[in-house]
Amino acid sequence: MLSMLPTASSGTPPSLDNCIIRIANGEEDALTTLYRQARTAVYGFALSIVKNVHDAEDILQDTFLVVWQKAGSYRPNGKPMAWLMTITRRLAIDRLREHTRTVPLSPEDWQTWLSERPDATQEDRLILSSLLEQLGDQERQIVILHALTGLKHREIAELLAIPLPTVLSKYNRALKKLQKSWKESD
Amino acid sequence: MHQDDMESRIRNAVEHVAPDPLENILSSRGSQENAVCPAAEKKVRKKTRWTSLAAAAILALICCGGFAAWQNASAVASVISLDVNPSIQLRVNARENVLSADPMNEDAEVILENMELKGSQLNVAVNAIVGSLLQHGYLDRISSAILISVEDSDAQRASRLENSLMDQVNATLQNASSGAEILSQVVERTDGLEDKAAASGISVGKAALVEQVQTCNGALDFDGLSALSVAELHQLQSAGAPAMPIGQDAAFSSALAQAGLSAADVLSWEADPELDETPPHYEVELKTASGKWEFDVDAYTGAILNGSAATAQETRPASPSSAGSIGEAAAKRAALDHAGITDESSLKYINCWLEYDNGQPHHYQVEFQTRTARYEYEIDLTTGAVLDAETEQTASSSGPASSPSPAPSSLPSAAGRIGVETAQSIALSDAGLSASDVTGLKVELDREGGTEIYDVEFRTSGVEYDYELRASDGAILKSDWEAGKTSSTTAVSADVGAEAAKSAAFLDAGVSAESVTHLKIEADTKKGTAVYKIEFKVSDTEYEYEIRASDGAVLSRDTDH
Repeated sequence: MLSMLPTASSGTPPSLDNCIIRIANGEEDALTTLYRQARTAVYGFALSIVKNVHDAEDILQDTFLVVWQKAGSYRPNGKPMAWLMTITRRLAIDRLREHTRTVPLSPEDWQTWLSERPDATQEDRLILSSLLEQLGDQERQIVILHALTGLKHREIAELLAIPLPTVLSKYNRALKKLQKSWKESD
Repeated sequence: MHQDDMESRIRNAVEHVAPDPLENILSSRGSQENAVCPAAEKKVRKKTRWTSLAAAAILALICCGGFAAWQNASAVASVISLDVNPSIQLRVNARENVLSADPMNEDAEVILENMELKGSQLNVAVNAIVGSLLQHGYLDRISSAILISVEDSDAQRASRLENSLMDQVNATLQNASSGAEILSQVVERTDGLEDKAAASGISVGKAALVEQVQTCNGALDFDGLSALSVAELHQLQSAGAPAMPIGQDAAFSSALAQAGLSAADVLSWEADPELDETPPHYEVELKTASGKWEFDVDAYTGAILNGSAATAQETRPASPSSAGSIGEAAAKRAALDHAGITDESSLKYINCWLEYDNGQPHHYQVEFQTRTARYEYEIDLTTGAVLDAETEQTASSSGPASSPSPAPSSLPSAAGRIGVETAQSIALSDAGLSASDVTGLKVELDREGGTEIYDVEFRTSGVEYDYELRASDGAILKSDWEAGKTSSTTAVSADVGAEAAKSAAFLDAGVSAESVTHLKIEADTKKGTAVYKIEFKVSDTEYEYEIRASDGAVLSRDTDH
């Protein structure tokens, strides 16, 4: 029973599993906690798929709205991040299917947008530009998932429904591309 | 630049540009239950960002559109229980994808350890579970029995599932030369049955079997019967359930008392139920350091029917010559040190006894198992030196154990090194795999340029991995993998079949079978791998998939809108 599971002890970050269980019980602060822990991962993964900052922002919001509504159907299994990313991916794919709404930002728009981010450093701009411009779609998604969510390569393979060897090779290739790109920019 | 550093920079960069729409999310939350989805709202296109109305409209779209298929895929269509003594419950959707695999008792937790069955096809999951049951010795005796129970509101589907699972498990057991009996049933879940099952910590399927036994003898207590194994319940039912058997533990206690032993003396024991024989009894076998004992114990009274301490004890000296021997504790320590294991509490078990040659103590035999491997050592009686060592990696979830391979003679003690267990854990973790995912796991201590290294090799069904770790601290010096080679010890089922492949494609596309038109399925081979090529249309969208035949994995997809 979801409601019988213990809540995390104070002083330690609550597990995402626990957050989702509490969200299912209507606890707003649990939604806030989950959001704080997973915002970057959700946004980064959404952005890696749609390549449009405005749509990624929409998907970030929609993901947590769906979590709020669907938390009751979540089965605690120690893979809350995979569940979150599944929702994010589904929303992103739905958005991509609506051709008229999602257009990847042009490099110029992308640079303009980055330059307007007050917290973004020069290094951030370089890193994000290379992620969007140098990597293929799957490479970018794999690297973002590995870097931001803590999912293992095998879990990423399951999430993206591609063979593990493909994930491993694309991950390694992507890191090499990024490394080269970053070196050249130094 | 190290990969961790690169990932850290990526994390920081995304963190710095990610928007923070928390307030909008909190203000836009709708109901958590029974979200209403008026048809007109399906056409809503958001004009203004971050207004409550717009967010609600998005949510409505999501709930009623894209998530309809997803929800359908998440709905439980059938519940499959596999009971031996371990009791496992699988929930599957209408496409026979496993939604959850739950252990119903402690024994089942061990069986499911390290298995990732969620998302796999039912037949693949059942193969893996039966393989694990075989590996753990639950189905290797002629008196063993496995019960397959299917719950499904669709009677036709339930019957089909029951038959196909029976055939599948039968084939698996035959391949493994197991004589275990297979029982199956279609169960109708009722609140009463479910409550009883939950209260006793058993599956609904086993609860149904208990109730059948009670129809033979209503005086028998539900909880008492629940504690019996499937084999005991089945034999009891066949025998007309004249009384409550004493159970395997009580039979063991009787045999123990008869042998004049304490539980601490016993290295291992088995109690095979023979409740449908005359007289009904348990065959109990005890193994101690000084020999093997066998007793027939009356199934209802606990009286000893056959066997005795005098006749059962093997003709060995009552105790070894203790002069100069190091003792069992030291022998165990020598073996564990050799394997690089420092924490004895991490072991599943460890046994140590004397082996004899020509009636004289010859060496200590030490056997133990970790989460990932079984070890057998021969330790010199007086010096504690390792005379022989064998390591057997415990099998992956999808197949039998690999053949035992001798540990390299150069494998050292743990002094100054991280140890074999830690080395293989580091390598597996880096590959994103667990021990149950791989076969052929091999760890060797080597020396390269004056540095001691652990060479760790393992493989999955499609990839061979090779790691070099510095022995002193576990740093990964080299990692390499090669795709395209297939393990010889793969899953029992080599082909998920066209239906399962089709389901995998539909699930990936998030479409229902009913919405699909122009379906075309073709078996093919791509780079030596058997695949199913699946093409279909949903409305104006055309899909093309390649599904790997061996496990239903999506190898490629192409969508044309």
